[in-house]
Amino acid sequence: MSQALVTGLNGLSYAFILFLLAAGFSLTFGVMGVLNLAHGALYMFGAYVGLQVIAVVDAFWLAAIIAAICLAVIGFGLYFFFLRHLYNKIPEQAVLTIGISYIVANVVLWIWGPRAQIGMTPEWLQGTISIGDLSFPIYRLFIMGVGLVILGLLWWMQDKTRAGAIIRAGMDNKEMTVSLGINYGLVSTLVFLLGMALAGLAGVLGTPVIGAYPSMGDNLLLLTLIVVVVGGTGYIQGTMLGALVIGLMDTFGKAYIPEAALFFSYIIFLIVLLVRPSGLMGRKVF
Amino acid sequence: MAEPAGGPPRGEDRSVEGAGSAAARRAPRPFIAVTLPILVIGVIVLVLPLFIPTFVSSLVTKMMIYALFGLSLNIIWGYAGIPSFGHAAFFGVGGYATAILILKAGIESFWLNLLLAIIATAVIAAILGVPAFRVFGVGAGASNPIYFLLATIAFGELLSRGAIALRPVTGGSTGLAGIPEPNLGFGIQIDSGNYYYMVFAFLIICAYIMYRIVNSHYGYALRGIHDNERRMQALGYNTWLYKYTSWIIAAVFGGVAGVLFAYFGATMVPNSLAMITSDIAFLLVIMGSTTVFFGPIVASVVYVGIEYIASLYLPARWPLIFGAMFVVTIMVIPQGLGVEILKLWRRLIRGTS
Repeated sequence: MSQALVTGLNGLSYAFILFLLAAGFSLTFGVMGVLNLAHGALYMFGAYVGLQVIAVVDAFWLAAIIAAICLAVIGFGLYFFFLRHLYNKIPEQAVLTIGISYIVANVVLWIWGPRAQIGMTPEWLQGTISIGDLSFPIYRLFIMGVGLVILGLLWWMQDKTRAGAIIRAGMDNKEMTVSLGINYGLVSTLVFLLGMALAGLAGVLGTPVIGAYPSMGDNLLLLTLIVVVVGGTGYIQGTMLGALVIGLMDTFGKAYIPEAALFFSYIIFLIVLLVRPSGLMGRKVF
Repeated sequence: MAEPAGGPPRGEDRSVEGAGSAAARRAPRPFIAVTLPILVIGVIVLVLPLFIPTFVSSLVTKMMIYALFGLSLNIIWGYAGIPSFGHAAFFGVGGYATAILILKAGIESFWLNLLLAIIATAVIAAILGVPAFRVFGVGAGASNPIYFLLATIAFGELLSRGAIALRPVTGGSTGLAGIPEPNLGFGIQIDSGNYYYMVFAFLIICAYIMYRIVNSHYGYALRGIHDNERRMQALGYNTWLYKYTSWIIAAVFGGVAGVLFAYFGATMVPNSLAMITSDIAFLLVIMGSTTVFFGPIVASVVYVGIEYIASLYLPARWPLIFGAMFVVTIMVIPQGLGVEILKLWRRLIRGTS
């Protein structure tokens, strides 16, 4: 029983890591229709920036903030120089951002070397709590807490704020929103920067659990795509649902049917595509 | 006006041709503008191995295989408007089918291998096509196939995971090595020297078949679906079937490229199914131009050339250069090299005549 509980908690914490990873992608993709396939590589870049900051000043929160700012700056450059000119050209955006992801991965390899890095858990989050005769690391509970806070903030932003209303209006009809005199360009730029900053934050938070290595970008990108497609785009709750489904199924699958572990998330992905192509909570059109 | 070598130009010229295009296709093409350059390039490629060292001719072999790979993706991307990001799935299935048939099943005949590999690719494409086209129009309409793109990325990756997991058959993550030279029968001995000619023959035959396909009634229907799927539906076309069959056709030619690649490299690794190889395919298409038939051939020459130069001088920075090729293509030559070359060629022809 406690075995299943710990597996469940592991699955939940993995789901929240996936959520943090996918939230930024889902924001830019679902809200602005910008397909940023460099998301995985940029997450990895954020993780390395965080590790560097921790190595220099040993401050976990500072690392998270600096990584977030750093990625927001990169995101601004990416948006201003490239993606702004590719509005509504999805295949072109995809090609461009895939190129960017190769560049980022190689730059990281160039600066930090090919060795996999293991993130240090900050001292005040070390230790475990015991459940029956098994134990569960506090850091994973911390990630779940941070994930919940960010989910709440994004949900609030989406449903209750003026920015959220503009975004939802823009998703339904961009031309009409712009013609009402709303500066949609500014709002969508800020959303893009927020999405990138989230990737940086996720990079720092996730490193103590999943580590960091230069070639991880592709794997993370695929996980992100699966979570976003399963959950459906357009709503932040959809991303959370996708992360929960994939995180729990994957963890339980690995624990009980280890032979099929490599495929588990793909099989769920294919089933969802066949049964509900727009995702579990997706909008039919955006 | 001179017809370009790559068939009727697409883009804004396309609507002008419209109904008259069938007649236009039958009209004799100017010899100097179309036939001569093709013949000259063909003859140059034929005599090239006599003048260049072996390693260069093996580079040209690689260019020709990649050209076939890119051409096959261009059928669905450029003509039918289906941007598949998992085309390596078919390249890899073709290659793996060959490797497994030779090394595990002991089938030596090249032709039997080719046939079985084509069947395998077509079956895989037919299976994956069902979920893929279920999501094609979802999200933002048929002109914006975002979910399709994501699904096809996952397909290639799923297959490459499969190749890693099925170790007894596929050799796991190290792949299969030691594929012998192809056995063509008829007393023809293929070695590393004349494999060049074999690939050349395949490229010519496959390119010709693909050219006929995209310039047939069927190909024009694909272009129509690309431009306006709703209108084609209103005209009574079963657009799903057209897209689905074009996907299988493209997969089969991608699979043939994979077969040739398996014999070329003598090994198959899971990466041939994964994103990295798909990325090569759509770099070839985007760089070559989606609106010109021969575009991917030009792009594969450039790509393999740059890859070789990079491997000599900057092997460690190759991914960076590879990534930069995407960015430069999209930002500097969004139309693709094929269009630029056509423009140049037309200007040249007008100048002389």
